[in-house]
Amino acid sequence: MKFTAIIAIAPTRALATSSNGVNGKRLKRMPGFIAKHRKSLSILFLFILLFWLVTLQVKNGRLTFMEKPVLAISGFFERIMSWPFNTVASIGKGYILLVGTQQENQRLRSENERLQLENGVMNELLHENERLRDALDFKRTYPPSAVVAQVIGKQSSPVSSTVTLNKGSDHGIRKDMAVITAQGVVGKVQAVLPGTAKVLLLTDPGSTIAVRVMRNREEGLLEGKLVNCSLKYISYYVDIQEGDVLVTSGLDGIYPKGLAVASVVKVSKHEANAFQTVVAEPAVGLSRLEEALVLTK
Amino acid sequence: MKSLVYFAILLLIIPVQAVLLEPLSLGGIKPDLALALLYIIGLLTGPWEAALAGMAIGLVQDIGSASFIGFSGLTRGLIGLSAGLLGRRVLDLTSPSNSIFLAGVSLLEGIVIAFFLQMFYGSVPFFSLMAGRILPQALYTGVLGAMLLRLLGSKSVMSALMRRTVQREL
Repeated sequence: MKFTAIIAIAPTRALATSSNGVNGKRLKRMPGFIAKHRKSLSILFLFILLFWLVTLQVKNGRLTFMEKPVLAISGFFERIMSWPFNTVASIGKGYILLVGTQQENQRLRSENERLQLENGVMNELLHENERLRDALDFKRTYPPSAVVAQVIGKQSSPVSSTVTLNKGSDHGIRKDMAVITAQGVVGKVQAVLPGTAKVLLLTDPGSTIAVRVMRNREEGLLEGKLVNCSLKYISYYVDIQEGDVLVTSGLDGIYPKGLAVASVVKVSKHEANAFQTVVAEPAVGLSRLEEALVLTK
Repeated sequence: MKSLVYFAILLLIIPVQAVLLEPLSLGGIKPDLALALLYIIGLLTGPWEAALAGMAIGLVQDIGSASFIGFSGLTRGLIGLSAGLLGRRVLDLTSPSNSIFLAGVSLLEGIVIAFFLQMFYGSVPFFSLMAGRILPQALYTGVLGAMLLRLLGSKSVMSALMRRTVQREL
């Protein structure tokens, strides 16, 4: 006990003995300065700490510190809060919006017949494709299995775009699984817990998808830019036009080959640049997203 | 009591923003409740407390989203600090100028974010980001903040708050 007391007193004495010169005066004033501006200095220290944390992640990738506890808490409250909205919506869909059901039913019946016909043709082509693949000794591809999940929350952090799903690891969902709708790719699973999963949308700046231009099979990387996407590494000499559809190339190992991702809305090139600047709009209306399929295989 | 309020804000800010504000979404744009709350905290408390609150709210949002942890903490801490400093000048909570200041703060944060994205990810479509997200959200947040401040400044809320304070003191 005495020993610690001596250690604690020692710096004060040293400060007192060195307080004669100019440097000593400055040293004597320091504790007073720190005590006076304690709040400002601690806030400044915290700002520096946060800045350091960001620069660290720029170098080494995003930290996943506390991600699961925060997802567990927010997912829990999101499920509770979204319940009344979903109930009202389902009542609305079930009872109130019955107007025009007969016409819609007829339209859907005719569409169903058309799709059945198309499906028959597709099945024929699939079998033919499989036979040819077998004959050529190609690797067989299997249709992916999927879990349907409901979007219960849409985060609007200023720097990122994510959504929360109401299904998680208890339904076979794992990290980095592809999330799609009938229209195309939505994004990939970023974090997962039992009963909830966080999906990184394709418009998030951290999202990158290996894609191919459907028309001419040119490859590139589609990066998220918050409001839309940008197709990278498209050479100056490549023929790419507005309206071109981009599909997954399957090279990233996350998304199966051939899913619609986005369509090109703007192309600009300059002789000084080796690559073209290509802006693309996602195929899926992400602001109206209500349900999604998670590809579990 | 104050710590309980802060705890509730930190606990509920992500789900409230993600679920309860969704019906208010116009073309995918939602008002930034966290920013509006932070501005109000700044006006009601002071720069240091608001800066700390901003850092905490920003950190929770960073962890809950996919952005770099600490980035929103940094920007929101600065917003809290400036709102607190502004609070020393702006005395009337119901003043319409608050809405302009809040929209301005939101706009400034959006521009900082755009520059950050440009720096670390490159080729950010600045004008479409500005027109499609930053500016509408700033205006929407300004309106929401003004409504919240009007609610806080209304006589019934103020008298209820005063009554509770008096009861506690008794």
